[in-house]
Amino acid sequence: MLWAIVVLLLCACAALGFLWFRERQGNAALVARQRDAEEEIKRLQATQSQVIHTTKLASLGQMVAGVAHEINTPLGFVKSNVEVVADLLDDYRKLVKQYDAAVQYCLQPVDLIFGADKASLDKLVKHVEEARRKLFEARATLEKSPLLSDAKELLKDASDGLTQLASLVQNLKGFSRVDRDGMDLVDLNEGIESALSIAQHQLRDRVRVVKHLQPLPKVRCMASQMNQVFLNLITNAAQAIDGEGTLTIESRATPKEVEISFADTGCGIPDDVLPKIFDPFFTTKPVGEGTGLGLSIVHKIVKGHGGSIKVRTTPRKGSVFTVSLPVDGAAATGPAAVAANAA
Amino acid sequence: MSDPLRILLIDDEERILRALRALLREHVTFATTDPLQAVALARQHDVDVVICDQRMPEKPGIEVLREIKESHPRALRILLTGYSDLKAVLGSVNESEVFRFVNKPWNNAELKALVTEAGQIAREAPVIARDALPPTEHDRARSAVGVLVIESDAAVQQRLREILQPYYKVNFANSAERALQIMEQQETAVVISETQAGRNDLTGLLKALKLHHPHIATVVLTERANAQTAIELINEGQVYRMLLKPVRMGTCRLSVDSAIGRYWQLKQNPQAARRFTAAPPSEHSTTSPLRLPAALLNRIRSLPGRLLGAARV
Repeated sequence: MLWAIVVLLLCACAALGFLWFRERQGNAALVARQRDAEEEIKRLQATQSQVIHTTKLASLGQMVAGVAHEINTPLGFVKSNVEVVADLLDDYRKLVKQYDAAVQYCLQPVDLIFGADKASLDKLVKHVEEARRKLFEARATLEKSPLLSDAKELLKDASDGLTQLASLVQNLKGFSRVDRDGMDLVDLNEGIESALSIAQHQLRDRVRVVKHLQPLPKVRCMASQMNQVFLNLITNAAQAIDGEGTLTIESRATPKEVEISFADTGCGIPDDVLPKIFDPFFTTKPVGEGTGLGLSIVHKIVKGHGGSIKVRTTPRKGSVFTVSLPVDGAAATGPAAVAANAA
Repeated sequence: MSDPLRILLIDDEERILRALRALLREHVTFATTDPLQAVALARQHDVDVVICDQRMPEKPGIEVLREIKESHPRALRILLTGYSDLKAVLGSVNESEVFRFVNKPWNNAELKALVTEAGQIAREAPVIARDALPPTEHDRARSAVGVLVIESDAAVQQRLREILQPYYKVNFANSAERALQIMEQQETAVVISETQAGRNDLTGLLKALKLHHPHIATVVLTERANAQTAIELINEGQVYRMLLKPVRMGTCRLSVDSAIGRYWQLKQNPQAARRFTAAPPSEHSTTSPLRLPAALLNRIRSLPGRLLGAARV
């Protein structure tokens, strides 16, 4: 009887021990799985910031191509004009020399007067007449010469060109905000303007831009990221428009939010495509033309700032993308979360 | 210069036009911001040289130059561009057959010298209005002169064999060395070549060939044209056509046909080859023909000149 109890107790102990052991093992597996999951999340986050960085570079490449054209045209005439003006001045100097020679010729009679007799006085009169004629001619040539006014015109063009180049560089700087990283109080209207100037080569001659920008309160955000959002939306609008069309950009402020909308008269988005437009790697563009990341990045950046993005679209009529950002800036996730997205 | 040249300038940016007019003030210049008027202006003023921007809202420069080539072929054409995308580069070769492709910002002294050279050639060298030959003469040309393909990829070689063998006297080479052997033995009208054989650059060879034998027509095959290489091939290599791989039967046959026509007519009219003069090779380029081994250069130089009329151009 006692033996039986002892055996039973031993069995119970063994069973308990086994259960305890299994539980511990299970726990260990759980912990390991959790660690794996955490690592996976970290890896995904790293990939994601990598992807943001890559698309930033891709849009940089696109931008450089367009900007190269914008820069090389003014650079072309500025460089040429400055050199040509130097040549024109050389030509002008030659005319001045001729004039000078004529003046010298005029001065010669003064020497002759002192030792003059009748014959030489006649000669003198002739010389004076000749001198007058020469001086008059040289002067007329100088006055009629277009050299100086040409030079002036070329210099004016050169100066305009330099202003154009300077504002282009300013815009590029403003766009990338390399001078300021991190969260900042930003007037988003300025961001729209600088994104527009960068996208200029895609719009020019084809897409009319209508702006209704109301004064906005400054918003706390990462300026370079918001500029990327604007550039992506403008580029998408330009690409949605086949041939000529209009892009209307409106900005307005409500007490809590700043709203910016981009309305194009493009092809619109079909119903079956609409739910997927913010998915990473989803694209309707031919291979090689779009990364399929533009809108997913836009979505990501706007979310990261505690904002939202809405789309309204009518096939064959156009689409409106509206970005809303809280005025008190990234309150939803806090600056740290946004900063983590910055690649 | 005794008689000033007549030059047509086309650019949608007025300030570029003013700059060019001032630069070329020793010549008579006509300028317009409207590419749609360009063709009429070129004929009306019987211009010698046309300088045209590529990127214009109404019409791209390569199209304007193609139309001028057709309606006023006597003028030599220069494309002036702020940014060279591949489409512009290919179009300037295959459609507008430009004399030179010039990037903005340009070099004043070089552009002036270029315009003077182009103007003199336009005035002095006879024009070949159409490359295509009448059918009977074309058959004669095809059986008389050879087409040489320089291609190292066996698959592409096979493809070209299928396209070309039934119609032309074709030879194949997979290196510069072998290509020269063939050209030394046989009259070659057209050289079809890729830009690289394996790791060896072929553009230096193509440029040297054009430098010494401007009547031979070169057709370049390329996989993914690098704009810079392509521009050099236009200016220093005066390539006749530039085709993207994979090679299409239709375009390939058309190109080779008209290339043979071009060669055949230059053979009878050697002075016209001046119109296809290549620019002197730039020394700093890594693919300059000046970097070719001296022995190879000598062999290229002394390839038999088979022009009737004998006058070397």
